[in-house]
Amino acid sequence: MSIISNNDIAHAIYLASKDKSKEEQSLIFKNVIKFLVKKKKIARVPDILLRLGKIINNYENRIVGKIFSKEKITETQNKEINQILAHRYSVKEVILNEKIDEKLLGGFKMEVGDEVIDLTLKKKIEKLQEHLTSNK
Amino acid sequence: MNTNNIVENLKREIENFSTQIKAEKIGKVLEVFDGIAKVSGLSDIKSSEMVIFPGGETGVALNLEEDAIGVIILGDFSKIKEGDEVKSTGKILEIPISDDILGRVVNAIGVPMDGKGAIKSTKTYPIEKVAPGVITRLSVDQPVATGIKVIDAIIPIGRGQRELIIGDRQTGKTAIAIDTILNQKGQNMICVYVSIGQKDSKLRKIEARLEEGGAMGYTVIVSAGASEAAALSYIAPYTGVSIAEYFMDQGKDVLIIYDDLSKHAVAYREISLLLRRPPGREAYPGDVFYLHSRLLERACRRNKEYGGGSITALPIVETQAGDVSAYIPTNVISITDGQIFLETDLFYKGIRPAVNVGLSVSRVGSSAQIKAMKKVAGTLKLDLAQFRELEAFAQFGSDLDESTKRQLERGKRAVEVLKQLQYSPVKTEHQVVTLYALTKGFMDDIAIDRIKEFELGLASYSENNAKVFYKQVLEKKMWDEKGEEELKKVIADFKNNFTR
Repeated sequence: MSIISNNDIAHAIYLASKDKSKEEQSLIFKNVIKFLVKKKKIARVPDILLRLGKIINNYENRIVGKIFSKEKITETQNKEINQILAHRYSVKEVILNEKIDEKLLGGFKMEVGDEVIDLTLKKKIEKLQEHLTSNK
Repeated sequence: MNTNNIVENLKREIENFSTQIKAEKIGKVLEVFDGIAKVSGLSDIKSSEMVIFPGGETGVALNLEEDAIGVIILGDFSKIKEGDEVKSTGKILEIPISDDILGRVVNAIGVPMDGKGAIKSTKTYPIEKVAPGVITRLSVDQPVATGIKVIDAIIPIGRGQRELIIGDRQTGKTAIAIDTILNQKGQNMICVYVSIGQKDSKLRKIEARLEEGGAMGYTVIVSAGASEAAALSYIAPYTGVSIAEYFMDQGKDVLIIYDDLSKHAVAYREISLLLRRPPGREAYPGDVFYLHSRLLERACRRNKEYGGGSITALPIVETQAGDVSAYIPTNVISITDGQIFLETDLFYKGIRPAVNVGLSVSRVGSSAQIKAMKKVAGTLKLDLAQFRELEAFAQFGSDLDESTKRQLERGKRAVEVLKQLQYSPVKTEHQVVTLYALTKGFMDDIAIDRIKEFELGLASYSENNAKVFYKQVLEKKMWDEKGEEELKKVIADFKNNFTR
């Protein structure tokens, strides 16, 4: 018995609905739901959607990440960060969801996938503490 | 140092402090149970890579799945909770090491646990390493003197060999290992004793015994106790062999004892089942053979061009009701270069060490014996086998011819000679003299209950009087005619006084 992974299903949905008109797409989605119900896999929908999102981003050459900062990031800063990240991950488009976190004290922190670039003041102070205590 | 100084120092430190901007791979704990953590993220992690949890606990990534990894936690997992950040280190698990580790008791990750303070380490060694290849190896031809007569004479162990000690519970497996360590004093050998899943009380006893015998100076004990996590039991033997490799890399000969590998396999089975790997025979995972073969392959004798040194491994396996055909015993028997088989029946008959000579074998064999020992012990195994057969046969009838009777009497004396008390290793030269006296028939007319007394007396008497013979055996490893004549005369003299 072969096992169909959630990733396979998401991939199939993407390939089937790519470049299709609205009507065609809604028909495809109906069929997908029917298929999932028939195969008793309807509980997997949230995970399939998550994977579908990743697959679409991957095909469209785009990354989605989060940015944490103490204060709202200015327009110019945002542009620069976007440029750097686009270069780093060699993608066309970068979408950053901004989040405000007072505890960071200053600076900002970016999360893309499982990669974290931490440029906050909080982290720096932690590092300094580590440095000062380890030398003694 | 006054306050100003401290402030100045701090200022300087802070000024010199710089951080590098770097992207870190971070995972999140999805679930924790029974010493196992499922972690999401960490997409670039390698198999067996070390990861760090927030409290400083380390773990090892064993299962790499599509979007999560299975990590075994080395240490206390009660503080790790769902959502904790996990960092990868990019390194295979390694242990800190230096020469100061000699005489210490360390846990499975090389941290001292004997209360004698920290060990200053100069190097780190990875616990998993590929075993030395064919080109770097030498054949085994140097003996490991165990000081146990039956082993040195019949089942000799060579430096670089892997000899399994197998038997039921309470048959003296650990005793053989400990006696061997005790006998390595002055033999230019470093010993590593790996205790896996043993009771702490037993470990304490062993440590005290080694201390008393002056053996801790050249011994390291690695312990993963019965109360610790299975993950620690799983990595303890690899830690042990890494310590052994550290000393081998200095060109030294090392003896390593794994006590015992059946508990190691059980610990690995526990981890594997928790990681949801499919169970096979006796519920062990499919790679349980590889688990032990990659460990024991690291025992070797290296040639001079590659640094020399050797690792001799004595794994111990406990059987259930003498069943050597169970999964783990057959696996380890096929990996090792021979086995010392201990039997409950013999043990309770008073034949201790309870070695079953018929089933025990050393595949490296007599090439690991000195010439003198080879000469006196050559036929001993066969003689004993014939004796066993005759003994069974003789029970049916009483009418026996002279030669059979003689063979039986000789056999009984051989069995008596091979008995030995615990913690009383015998020097190789004494063994040679005793076995010489036995095989040349000097003991045939000594009463069986006086054999032990005769043996002890002869050892000290001959050492004082057969100086030429002893010198030849010690230096040339073999005697010549002159030495033999002298020994014969000395034994005859001693016997005269003894029987009078």
